[in-house]
Amino acid sequence: MAENASNAGPEPGSRVTIGITFGNSNSSIAYTTDSKAEVIADEAGDRQIPTVLSYNDGDEYYGGQAKAFLVRQPKITIAYFRDFLGQDFKSIDPTHCHAAAHPEDTSGTVSFSVKDKEEESSTLSVSEVSTRFMRRLVSAASDYLGKKVTSAVITVPTSYTEKQREALIKAANDAGLEILQLIADPVAAILAYDARPEADISDKIVVVADLGGTRSDVTVVASRGGMYTILATAHDFDFAGVHLDNALMEHFAKEFMKKHNTDPRSNPKSLAKLRLEAEATKKALSLGSNAQFSVESLADGYDFSVSINRIRYEMVGRKVFDGFNRLVEGAVKKAGLDVLDVDEVVMCGGTSHTPRIANNLRGIFPETTTIQAPATSTTAINPSELQARGAALQASLIQEYEAADIEQSTHPAVTTVKHIANAIGVVTGENGDVFLPIMPAETAVPARRTVQIPTPAEGGDVLVRVVEGGTHIKVTKPEPKPAKEASDDKEDDEDDSDFDSDEEEEEEKREKIWKIGGELAEAAIRGVKKGGKVEVTINVAADLGVTVTAREVGAKGGVRGQI
Amino acid sequence: MALPLLPADWSADKDFKRLNALSSASERTIEPVGPHFLAHARRARHKRTFSEDDR
Ligand SMILES: Nc1ncnc2c1ncn2[C@@H]1O[C@H](COP(=O)(O)OP(=O)(O)OP(=O)(O)O)[C@@H](O)[C@H]1O
Ligand SMILES: [Mg+2]
Repeated sequence: MAENASNAGPEPGSRVTIGITFGNSNSSIAYTTDSKAEVIADEAGDRQIPTVLSYNDGDEYYGGQAKAFLVRQPKITIAYFRDFLGQDFKSIDPTHCHAAAHPEDTSGTVSFSVKDKEEESSTLSVSEVSTRFMRRLVSAASDYLGKKVTSAVITVPTSYTEKQREALIKAANDAGLEILQLIADPVAAILAYDARPEADISDKIVVVADLGGTRSDVTVVASRGGMYTILATAHDFDFAGVHLDNALMEHFAKEFMKKHNTDPRSNPKSLAKLRLEAEATKKALSLGSNAQFSVESLADGYDFSVSINRIRYEMVGRKVFDGFNRLVEGAVKKAGLDVLDVDEVVMCGGTSHTPRIANNLRGIFPETTTIQAPATSTTAINPSELQARGAALQASLIQEYEAADIEQSTHPAVTTVKHIANAIGVVTGENGDVFLPIMPAETAVPARRTVQIPTPAEGGDVLVRVVEGGTHIKVTKPEPKPAKEASDDKEDDEDDSDFDSDEEEEEEKREKIWKIGGELAEAAIRGVKKGGKVEVTINVAADLGVTVTAREVGAKGGVRGQI
Repeated sequence: MALPLLPADWSADKDFKRLNALSSASERTIEPVGPHFLAHARRARHKRTFSEDDR
């Protein structure tokens, strides 16, 4: 990855590093202290810093202050520009800039015209806009840390192209920031979880649902001993935070019209007020079961204040909520997996604070799947902070590396490796028909896993059969209800209300079943003592050669062989 | 669940019988992120095995 090398950056020893997430809606900055990541608040106290710049009377505003200008000064306020970086004008979707400075076509590249100096108007390329915004982030971080930040890891969507990556690095470099590495948004989120001291670095399938403001990205990741392989991604621009804002705006606009007979969506200023307050109300509804929507002089000089409860909101936003479910289900399917294969769902992005969305996902996945979101888990990390934290952790891991070392380590020669297609395990059970997985499918090699397996109560000579294994989903239809006597059967049909039948209807049962596949090797462990255990180690080399080691726990010797 | 008992007629040289090679694998990209990846990269670049790494 050539972009990792930056031109003569600071000496590794003198770097001051942060992690940055730079979204279309918000950005965050984080740093690490004692290998713990912390998100930094800007001067205004925001940890989610709106990705907005505004120019007024020659002054530059950013973040929350700039976002507030969207009501009074939309034309000088630049928002929702991140996804334009590294793109041609003709391929961008300017929808979200409608009520802000409009993107313009400057010989193919995207730019914005604002009066950034008194009287004088300038045309700023999206690259320049990004550089200016980045400069503000770096200076907020430097102020907070009390030393000048030199270097950063930035998170990017998995859909980011090489051109976009290069454009982002250039924009950051122009802001005087060395970019150590760009890492994928969802991987940063997983890293933030795995870096917790209590984290259990086991083999698991993780679905990251990154639900942001203007886009939702779902990623299915095979997490194998702390290494991450992306199995599938899904991107959506029709179901995201702003669409929930839109639904609420429509709701409140209609309420307003009932009273005042005027549509607050028909003039830009009222519309902007409506949007800002709808978003605030939406956020309040993530915490409380009731929220107040109040805007002074919303339209035609009328103030408007009305309350909404969470149930109502969930009805209003239903279509969008359903969209999130479909997106997540679609990504799991795209990975060739079933919801039963998913061990953990990591919810990140601001919209993941919404209890309804987490509860819906809770309903889609089996009970054994952990749903990491504030509404469904007491140990969830703030979904808005995950990516910046992950970036900061990665930055601290590599800050001592020379740029060339980072480049070498992230080179495809190191990252592109074979992954086993089937699980490897041993056969257990009296009848030798139960598969015990030791190394799951989609584990990158070289890899090594060890398990300890009990032996029959009396001990003795035991067989270690090493085999491949696969799964299938077994569906059991509910038993047909026992036929009732013909006469009252009919009656029953008639007065069975929907509610009753709903309650009685049993769901089909779905289970994941292991199937024993190809045989790899067999080994005998003799004279195991009563209550003894056998330790089996599977080591798969880069060339897919398998080494099996088996021995009784605590005993000398054992068996070792290669396949 | 316990390991099955060794069938009476089972025998092999050094008690190990190799049967088939792994049936299939695919090339994929691991994300160059996190401490475990860095350990992997270190092993890959210095052509070291797990056990050499353990020492
Ligand atoms: N507590 C909350 N409850 C519900 N929604 C929230 C909450 N906090 C933030 N949001 C919403 O999250 C969205 C912003 O998400 P995030 O901060 O992840 O931005 P982002 O990554 O820049 O988004 P994108 O790039 O998709 O535009 C906004 O729609 C915001 O209203
Ligand atoms: Mg985001």
